[in-house]
Formats: sequence, structure tokens, C-alpha cells
Amino acid sequence: MSGDFTAWLRGRADEQLRALVAARPELIMPVPPHIEGLAARAGTPSAIGRALDRLDRFSLSVVETLTLQPGPVAYPDLRAILARALPHGSRAEERRRGHALDAALRDAVDRLREACLIFGPDEALLPAPGVTEALDPPAGLGPPAADVFRHHPSEALTALLADIAPGDAPDPPVRRLAALLAESGTVERLVAEVSPQARAALDELAWGPPSGRVAGARREVRTATARSPIEELLARGLLGATGEETVALPREVALILRGGRLHRDLSPGPPQIDGVARDQALADRTAAGQAFAFVRTVEELCELWSHDPPGVLRAGGLAVRDLKRTAQLLDLPEWTAGLVVEVAHAAGLVASAGSVDGEWLPTSAYDVWRIKATEDRWALLASAWAGMDRAPGLIGERDERDRPINALHPDLRRSAASEVRLRTLSVLAAAGPGIAPTAASVIGRLAWEQPRRRVAQRDRLAEFALREAEHVGVTGLGVLSGHGRALLRAFPPYGSPYAAGQGGPAELLAPLLPEPVDRVLLQADLTAVAPGPLVSDLARWLALAADVESKGGATVYRFGEGSIRRALDAGQSADELLSLLERHSATPVPQPLRYLITDVARRHGRIRVGTASAYIRCDDPAVLDEVVADRRAAVLRLRRLAPTVLASKTSRATLVDALRAMGYAPVAESLEGDMLVARADARRTEGQPLARGGAAIAPDPDMVAAAVRAIRAGDDAHLARRGPTDAPRGQVPRSPSAATISALQEAIRQGTRVWIGYLDSQGHATSRILEPARMEGGYLTAYDETRAAVHRFALHRITGIADVN
Amino acid sequence: MNDGPLIVQSDKTLLLEVDHERADECRKAIAPFAELERAPEHVHTYRVTPLALWNARAAGHDAEQVVDTLIGFSRYPVPHALLVDVVETMARYGRLRLEKHPTHGLVLTSTDRAVLEEVLRSKKIQPLVGERIDAETVMVHPSERGNIKQVLLKLGWPADDLAGYVDGEHHAIALAEDGWTLRPYQKEAADAFWHGGSGVVVLPCGAGKTIVGAAAMAHAQATTLILVTNTVSAHQWKQELIKRTSLTADEIGEYTGTKKEIRPVTIATYQVMTTKRQGVYRHLELFDARDWGLVVYDEVHLLPAPIFRMTADLQARRRIGLTATLVREDGREGDVFSLIGPKRYDAPWKEMENQGWIAPADCVEVRVTLGDEERLAYAMSEAEERYRFCATTPSKNRVAEALVRRHAGEQVLVIGQYIDQLDELGEHLDAPVIKGETRVRERERLFQAFRDKEIQVLVVSKVANFSIDLPEASIAIQVSGTFGSRQEEAQRLGRVLRPKADGGGARFYSVVSRDTVDQDFAAHRQRFLAEQGYSYQIIDADEVLAEGEGDPAR
Repeated sequence: MSGDFTAWLRGRADEQLRALVAARPELIMPVPPHIEGLAARAGTPSAIGRALDRLDRFSLSVVETLTLQPGPVAYPDLRAILARALPHGSRAEERRRGHALDAALRDAVDRLREACLIFGPDEALLPAPGVTEALDPPAGLGPPAADVFRHHPSEALTALLADIAPGDAPDPPVRRLAALLAESGTVERLVAEVSPQARAALDELAWGPPSGRVAGARREVRTATARSPIEELLARGLLGATGEETVALPREVALILRGGRLHRDLSPGPPQIDGVARDQALADRTAAGQAFAFVRTVEELCELWSHDPPGVLRAGGLAVRDLKRTAQLLDLPEWTAGLVVEVAHAAGLVASAGSVDGEWLPTSAYDVWRIKATEDRWALLASAWAGMDRAPGLIGERDERDRPINALHPDLRRSAASEVRLRTLSVLAAAGPGIAPTAASVIGRLAWEQPRRRVAQRDRLAEFALREAEHVGVTGLGVLSGHGRALLRAFPPYGSPYAAGQGGPAELLAPLLPEPVDRVLLQADLTAVAPGPLVSDLARWLALAADVESKGGATVYRFGEGSIRRALDAGQSADELLSLLERHSATPVPQPLRYLITDVARRHGRIRVGTASAYIRCDDPAVLDEVVADRRAAVLRLRRLAPTVLASKTSRATLVDALRAMGYAPVAESLEGDMLVARADARRTEGQPLARGGAAIAPDPDMVAAAVRAIRAGDDAHLARRGPTDAPRGQVPRSPSAATISALQEAIRQGTRVWIGYLDSQGHATSRILEPARMEGGYLTAYDETRAAVHRFALHRITGIADVN
Repeated sequence: MNDGPLIVQSDKTLLLEVDHERADECRKAIAPFAELERAPEHVHTYRVTPLALWNARAAGHDAEQVVDTLIGFSRYPVPHALLVDVVETMARYGRLRLEKHPTHGLVLTSTDRAVLEEVLRSKKIQPLVGERIDAETVMVHPSERGNIKQVLLKLGWPADDLAGYVDGEHHAIALAEDGWTLRPYQKEAADAFWHGGSGVVVLPCGAGKTIVGAAAMAHAQATTLILVTNTVSAHQWKQELIKRTSLTADEIGEYTGTKKEIRPVTIATYQVMTTKRQGVYRHLELFDARDWGLVVYDEVHLLPAPIFRMTADLQARRRIGLTATLVREDGREGDVFSLIGPKRYDAPWKEMENQGWIAPADCVEVRVTLGDEERLAYAMSEAEERYRFCATTPSKNRVAEALVRRHAGEQVLVIGQYIDQLDELGEHLDAPVIKGETRVRERERLFQAFRDKEIQVLVVSKVANFSIDLPEASIAIQVSGTFGSRQEEAQRLGRVLRPKADGGGARFYSVVSRDTVDQDFAAHRQRFLAEQGYSYQIIDADEVLAEGEGDPAR
């Protein structure tokens, strides 16, 4: 069968192979050497598992249906089976559903075939090798009767058969029982015999989990002596013990009970998204307002942490207390502050510095980010948010060991966070413009899209995503904004790809943001109001000469003695300040402000302060004249502060030595108050480059094409070089690992024995003869005939495989 | 892009560009839910606080209106977080209601069971409530009506008090509109109060709050208790009521330190009410002395804490609060809201001024420079002496004299903090001095003389700050006095803001020593006044003195 698959795969056009590789990029990591390798890899449990995880509920149902059929299925038959699973309704409804099924099935079959999860022409569709095993148990069904009753003692089975179908038959009892349970007539007869309670239990097991717990499952019961409903079922083989305390409904029975349907209420399309209709333009504007506020908040955070950085906890992360304080200073609720901190970190704007007593500091990337246009700054933050594999929503909750989860802590990583977030956004995008979907319908849609993926807390992550999207400004009033949609396009599997003429998130956001202004309104209460974001030069200048009092769409600055002095300290003169104000003010400069500036300037610089590391003083100015005039003194960099005082930048000892060398007899003086004042600048750290986690990034088309070319070329060479070889007689078998795995799968399916080469735990090469039972998690469980026991074998130690015969 | 006059900031302040063509419309729309914080010349700042939102809710505005207003007038997109906050905050008011149950008396009810459960779990609420009647109703001890409202406000679930009021003892009171009429805004304020039940009316100094009180009494037609800040103010109220209403002197009692009259309309001072003897408030019986139908609180923003406690027991009586500002230095705005009631009427100073009801005022700061010796002495003085030293510098006297000369023929008030300085000034200016030790009778005589323009210059200490009426003062010169509080400053300005017969502009001078702590206090004053929208100028003392020397009259 795997040979058929390889042949079929080889027969696919290059274009189809490219589509396969694009849909399942893990198949070319690394690029397999030839088609056989590709086929083998496509059949490995992990590759199949990943591919199945990507399927929506309907496609998965199609695959499940195929795996449950004994042989190849023609397309019309497949449709007929699926059609039975559609919910019943009025004729018109059913006709409509039938049409929906036709469209969805055509699409699903083509896509599944493209992804090589099924293969063969429409006349004979088959699940790809490995799929059946990966889907076990399919559609919530229990194990086949043969498996359920495999380990029952044959006497017990014979007794059971005697009860339900007296008569002789040459077959072994297990096979006979399995055959009986597959006959709908027999099962219906048996079901009719049991009590209503037992029937209710059966119905529950038919659609629910197919197994249950019962004390003493292996008890011996006969139809005549059965007392409880469970015993009635056990005695008739409608239930079988699978362990000391577990019973299971054999698959054959379940299929009959389900009345020929494999799925209950199959839905060919995704569930409807419910939501409130809103004005898209208003939503865009609201989102833009929030985006602007968010960028401001991040900037504020970085400015705050530049001067007053919080410490890094020993275990990593930000202390609860520091987060509280930050939240307070930013005037935000704590969860929002956590989000801001996490996004700033994910965008590489803050990072931990120092190894021992680390601090959270803005990075040098922040300085680059800060001077960009607001829309670009937002685009960077928003894509960092969308792509980050962390769940800020969990901050403040307690982990399984009841410790609080801190912001910026490694424990906040959730590998699925980014994927769920992007999927949530793509559901919002699918809802269409102007629709604000409800959280419940978004979560329902997510579950339909990927029913197999078991993402821990997916629903919560989706709720977080909705809440965060609103706050970051990706959505407004619950509606995905234009720029949010553009953001999603940067994450290809989730957003629709770029079309010509569509702008990026920044371009779409820009026109919605307040336009930069170069005017401020000066007022007599010594405030300046910038009625919009300022052009950057003016903004920087005002930030120097005034303190920011209120932020938002506009900025309110307040002039004070301190701020004016700061500007003067930075080298501005009073006249410059005034002329700048006059130039940028829409109204005359108020008299009190003018007065304030001249008044501060009047006093500014009256006292001068400098640094000198040593001084020379001498009561006789003539001596100092002499010293200054001396050429040898040039290196001492002396400066005359007063007729009797010289200051020097060299150290006292050097000065004393130099003066001695010049022929003077200086005496060193002890110093008091020799202070060096240096105000530390805002500090920065080089943050570690951050790996973008989580989101699967689709391989680009060039890479896909190259990979397919390489496989084809390798395959041609492979075919020319060698045909399949059997293991040489008497030697330990060797075969490529992919071939080994497919051969093992085949053996499990057929129930045949195989001969394997195996490296034992000491590294000795041994050979065994096995009857493989199942393969999971990198291990093969098999009955070892050489040792007469069931063992687990590590797959990576199996050196090769050959048929026993 | 919207071209609105309003910019919504993320810190919940609203910036209104006053020169915008839609500014007036916008101001009216946002006034119900935002408190005017600053009103300088170009951009006014309003703040959206929970109390302001609840005030709006109490006045019948809903969250949708508020959100629509913000979005409609905003120039830039409104941050979503703010809108959510507005909706959530407003939804909290009225979720709980105090009602009168036909059989159980006072009850707390809610249609939202979760909220009721939440508050009932609070330890502070438990002692205030009685039996649970059903899932949505719980009994409240009638005596705890005020306390429960206070606690609920603190818990963030302000209750809507619909339990009604007692009518009180009937007493006929009518406005006597002979030769004057109620100004439109006064009528609006009184009506708004009456329809709201209880609450606060915010009007600037000089806008005739007493008359609003009288109009409220005319609505109530019942015995009234009026609480005022001090004795002078009590006299003033009495005279004003006699003049403006049908009440006669016999019907109005004064309950002060010296007189203890209880009449159908009784005016008591906060001081008397809060006097304790042996740890007990001695005059509490006043509240029960009559079946009051209305309680008037003058200057609500100064209401002392004990009065709040007494007020908590008066919840069944109608209450009206009168004030120039809701801002309290002690941050007890919430108590005013829960115990006296929501804001029922508000008019910004500037608007009243534009309508001509109050006189426009110019503010001028005059900076005097200390001499070299004074500077040295100042630098060496003790920290606690510093202010006194720089505030009372003799240079100020010369400036004050020059200013008085500049405004010869006008009614001038000189205000100061230090008695020595005031006495000295009184001597130099040849003007009477009113200070703490001046007897009430003498004080009133001087005020009357000032009013009659027999005296043109009056030197007053801080005691004159509150509730005196000097209608003809057009110039105030402040020589000392720290920037105590915003109210004090508002009062001080109120002195010269009274509309004058000739409609001329008023002027407020403050004389300040340069480069000293005096200047720091002046900076606060400057900010406050500029924020109130008054023009503010700083000049050097030399300009004033030079002008004085050039004066031929000298």
C-alpha cells in the first residue's frame, strides 16, 4: 500500500508537489533526498499529526469517513455516506445542505489530496499511509471488536458465542464474534433483548466517549445470570472489557447503533459568526485613537523606566509591586500595564540588563523606534504583539504550584499564544467589515477550524486576544479595523495576501492619526497646548523647556522655573526661547510667560560651577603670573579663577611634582568638598535579539520550488541507482528509517511478523523477530518472539527491517 | 478627520478650544458630565470624574449621550478605554435605589441582584441594613439613610435616593420682587434644585447665591434652617432675606455665639454647631427644635466634618448646598455628593461675566526687590520666619501707597495677613483697619461707611475673607497672605468682583517680594487666577513708584 502511495506521489505534477510542500512545510525540513523519502516522511506519525491538526471539522470528517471504509471509495459513495450525517430538516433545508455539501466536499477532497492525506483518483480514494493509525480512534469510535476481545480467554468467548449465536463454526471465537457484531441484524436482535436502562447506556456510548469505567469489568457473566444493565451488555458482547475496570463499545456495534452515520449533524461549512453591526469608519477611527494612545503609553513606559528602572526578579520577570507601581504611574489598570510591558518587551524596546542585580531598561532599539512616525511605531508594536508567544492575560494569576505569574517572566510563554491570537484575528477578518463578533461565536469558530488541536486554554487565549486587540488598537468597537486587517496580512497563513494597491498597516493608519502640528497655544497660566502631535523638532524642544502635564490627542505643557532653567542649561538663551515661542505660537506670548523667562534668565548663570581636580593658591599674584607663563606648565592645563587662584585638571600629586620640577616648593593642601557631580544619563541596554515565536511562517514560493526541484532530481538519481534490496541472509537487516517506519506500520496493519535489527541499551547490535502491536511516541510496542514477551523498542534504535520469510 | 473643538486626553481631561466656532455648543454639551478645571484664555480644561458622571446620571443624562457627545465633538479619535470607562462608571449610578416601601419603610432595592449581593457582603454595609425582604430588597434603618449613601458611594455604587422628603412645618415665604427681579440663571438654579429634590448649586462669588437660597425657600414654603460660615455672614443673610422676601425680622432668628434665637427661619453658624462642651455637641437640638422643611448650606466647600455627620441624620429633609466651587481641599467631594446631593446647577464664572452679572477683573502682580541688606537678613532668617520677613518688607508699604494714589477716588481694599503690617499701612494711608479684635458692631459700621463711600480705603485682615459684602470695592491690594487654598483665593477675588454701579472693571493687585518664598506663593495664585480666565500681568515695583513720583498731585 505504501508502494502505491509512493508511485502515486511520483506521478504527481511538479506543481502539485509544490502545493503539497507549501501546505505541509515540515516535509522539506530538511529536504528529503527523493520521492520515496518524501512519501516516507509524509507518512510519519508526527508529519501526519501536524497535517491533521490543520484540518477543519468537515475535512477531518471526510478523512475519518475514508479511513473507516474497508477499501478504496469512489467519490459519489463518499458523498452518500457523508450526506447521511447531515442534520435532518425540511426538504428545502436538506436540499440547501446538499448543495453546501457538494461544494464543500469537492473542495475538501481536492485539498486533502493536495496535502497527500488522501490519494488516488476520484474513482478510488484512499487515506494516505499512516493516516488511519494517526486518526485512531476515528470519529469518537471505540476499538474494533477484534481488538476489544483479543485478550479474552477463549473459553469465555466460546460461552458468550454459545449464548448469543448457538451453533458451530470452524473460525476462532474472536473472529466469529467480530463477524457477528458486524452484522446489523444480529446487533439489532441483541439490542432488542436488553433492558431499557442498558439501551440508554448503549446510546450514550454510541455518540459519547466509547468506553467507561466499571468495577470488575472482567467478571464472568452469562445472559441468563446477568443482573445489571452493564452485565446484560457484557454477556452479549455489546460491551467488552478492555482492562480490569474499563469496558469499551466495539466499533462495529457503535456503527450500527449510529444508524449508518459516522458523524452527528455534520456541517459542511463553518458555523455562522454572530455579531453586532457597526459603522466601519467609526470603528477604524476608534481603533486609531486607541492605537495612538497605545504608542504613547509604550513611550511613556520607556521614558519612565529610563530613569527609574525596576529590578529583574531573581527568577526573571517583573515584581508584582513594580507592575502595580508602573500601572499607577501610567494610570492604567494592571492587566493593561502588563500588556504594555509585554508588548514593549516583545518589540525589543525594553530588556533586562545586568546579570546579578538586573534592571529592566529601554534598549537602544527604543531610541530608533522613538523617532519614527507614529504609524510606523504602531505597526512595529502591533506586529510584535501579534507574533509574540506570550500570554500577558495570565499575569497576576497563579500557576499550578500556586505561585503568582509575573510579567516578563519566562513562565508566561504559551507556545500557542501567537497562533490563537492570529486565528482569532482571522476570524474577525472573516466576519466581514463592520461586524463586531461576539466572543462566544469567535471561540466556536476557532474550535470548528481546528478540532484536533488540543490547545491548552485556547478559549481563554482567544478571549485575551480579543481584549488585547481592542487595547492595542487593532480592533475598534469590536470590529477589525482596516489597519488591523493589513497587519494580519503580514502573517501569511492567516490574512489574505497583499493585493496590488493595498497599503500596509502603517499606511492605512496614518490618515486616521492626528496630523502633526507646528503650532501651540500659549496661555497665561503658563501652559502651552499643542492641539495635536507636534512636529518632532518642536516636540523635543518643548519637552526641554516645559513639563508635560497631560497627554492624549493633544499635549499640555507647563512652563515653570525649573523647566525654563533646564532649557537655559541646555544652552538656550532667553531671547532664543522667546523667539521660538513667538514663531510657534498661534497667539501672542502672554505677559506672565515672557516675564517668567526673562526673570529666570536674569538669575541664570550668576553662580558658576566647574570641576577641577586640584588648585594652586598663592597670596602673591606675581608668582602665579610666573607659573602660568612657564611653558612647562602648559601640560598642566591651568586656569586662572582669580588673581590668587589657579585651577588644574591634573591631580594634586602630579601638580605638586610638576611644580617641584619647575623649581617651586609647593605644599599639598588637604581638600574638603571636592565633588564631582555627574548626573547619569538615561541608561540603555543591548537587548537580546528576540526570536519570534509560535506563528508558523509559510515558506516562500522560491524555497518551495527549489525544494521540489531538488526532490525530483534526487529521485531520478535514486531510481537509476538502485532497486529495492532485501536484507542479506544471516545479517542484521538495514534499511532507511523512513522505510522502517512504513514497513512497521504495514506489519501492524497486517498483523504480520517482522525481523528487525536493534541496538540494545549497551549498543550491541541484535536481531529480533517481532509481532508489532502499536507505534507511538517514538516507541514500538511488540511481542518479541525471541524473548517471548511484550517489549517496547525505541524506533531510533531499530537499524533495519526485513520480512521474516 | 473630524474638525471638532474638543480634544479628549487619555487622562480623562477634555480640552476645549474656545475660539472654535462650535465651542459654545460643545461647552453646553459637555458641561453636565465634566467639571471645568481650568479656564485660561484659549483652551479650557474639563475633567471627567466618576462624580461628574454620576452628577450627569442624576440629572437624567445617559451614557450613550455622553459617548455621542465625546465622539461628536472630538477632533481626534476618542480612546476606546475612556469610552468603556464612561459607560461602566455611569452604569453604576442608580443600580441601587433607596425607596420608601409601603409596609417596610426605608428599603434598598436593586434590579441587579449581583450588585445587591456584592454590597451586602461588605462589612461596612451590614450594620446599616435590616431584614432581607426579598431577593432584590433589603430594609434600611431610617437613621442610616445618610451613612448608607456615603458607604455605597465609597464602594462605587452610588445609590439613587428616591425615598422622598418630609414636608416640614409650613411657613409662607414669598419673594418680594419690588424693584428687582430674579436673574434668569438664579431662577433656573432654584428650579433645578427643586425638581432634583436635594443638591448643590454652583455659582461664582457675587452671582447672588443668597437670592438662589431665598428662591429655594419660596419653593419650599416651609420652616428653614440656614447654616452659614460666620456671624457676619449670618447678619448678611438676615438683611438680604428681609430685603428680598416677605419675611420680617421677627420671623428670622440668629443662632450664633451671642444670640440663640429659634424662629421659623433660623440662621446658624458652622462654628456654633460644631462647638463641643465636655465632648458633646451642645447645639444638636437645634436640628430637632423645629420640623424643618428645608436646610440651606452656605459655602458647601467649607462644610466642616462634624456638620457632615449631623447632615447624615437629616436625610429626610430637603437640602440645598450653595457654593462657588465643588473642589474641596480635603477631597470630601464624595460626601457632598452623597449627603447633600448631586450638583443641580452650574455656571462658569466667565460666562456670567460675559453676561454682565459679575464685573471683569484684571490681576496685576507687583514685584518689589528687597534691598541688599534685607536680602542678607532674609537669607539668614529662620525658615519659619522667612515668609513673614519677606511679606512685610517696608518696600511693600511704599508700593501700596503708590497704588492707592494711582487709584485715588476709587474704593480700595488693602488685604494682609500680619497685623503689624496692617496697622502700619493704616497709619500711612490714613485708613481704618479691620482685624480680628475689631468688634462686630464697629466692623459693620466701617463696612457701611465704606459702602456709602464715606471711607474710600479700608485695610482688612484675613477675617474679612468670608461672606462679607462690599459692593463698591473696585480695587483690592493684597500685601501679604500665603496662597492658602483655592477657595481663599476665590473669596479674595470675590471681594472685588461684585458688580459695580458704573460697570467699571475691577482690579486685583498682589504685592510680592522678588526671589523669596513670597514669589512662590504668588506663582500658585497666578496659576489659579489665570486658570480662572482672568488676565494676569506681572510688573516691577519701580514702574509703580516712578509713576507715583511723576504724579503732579503729590
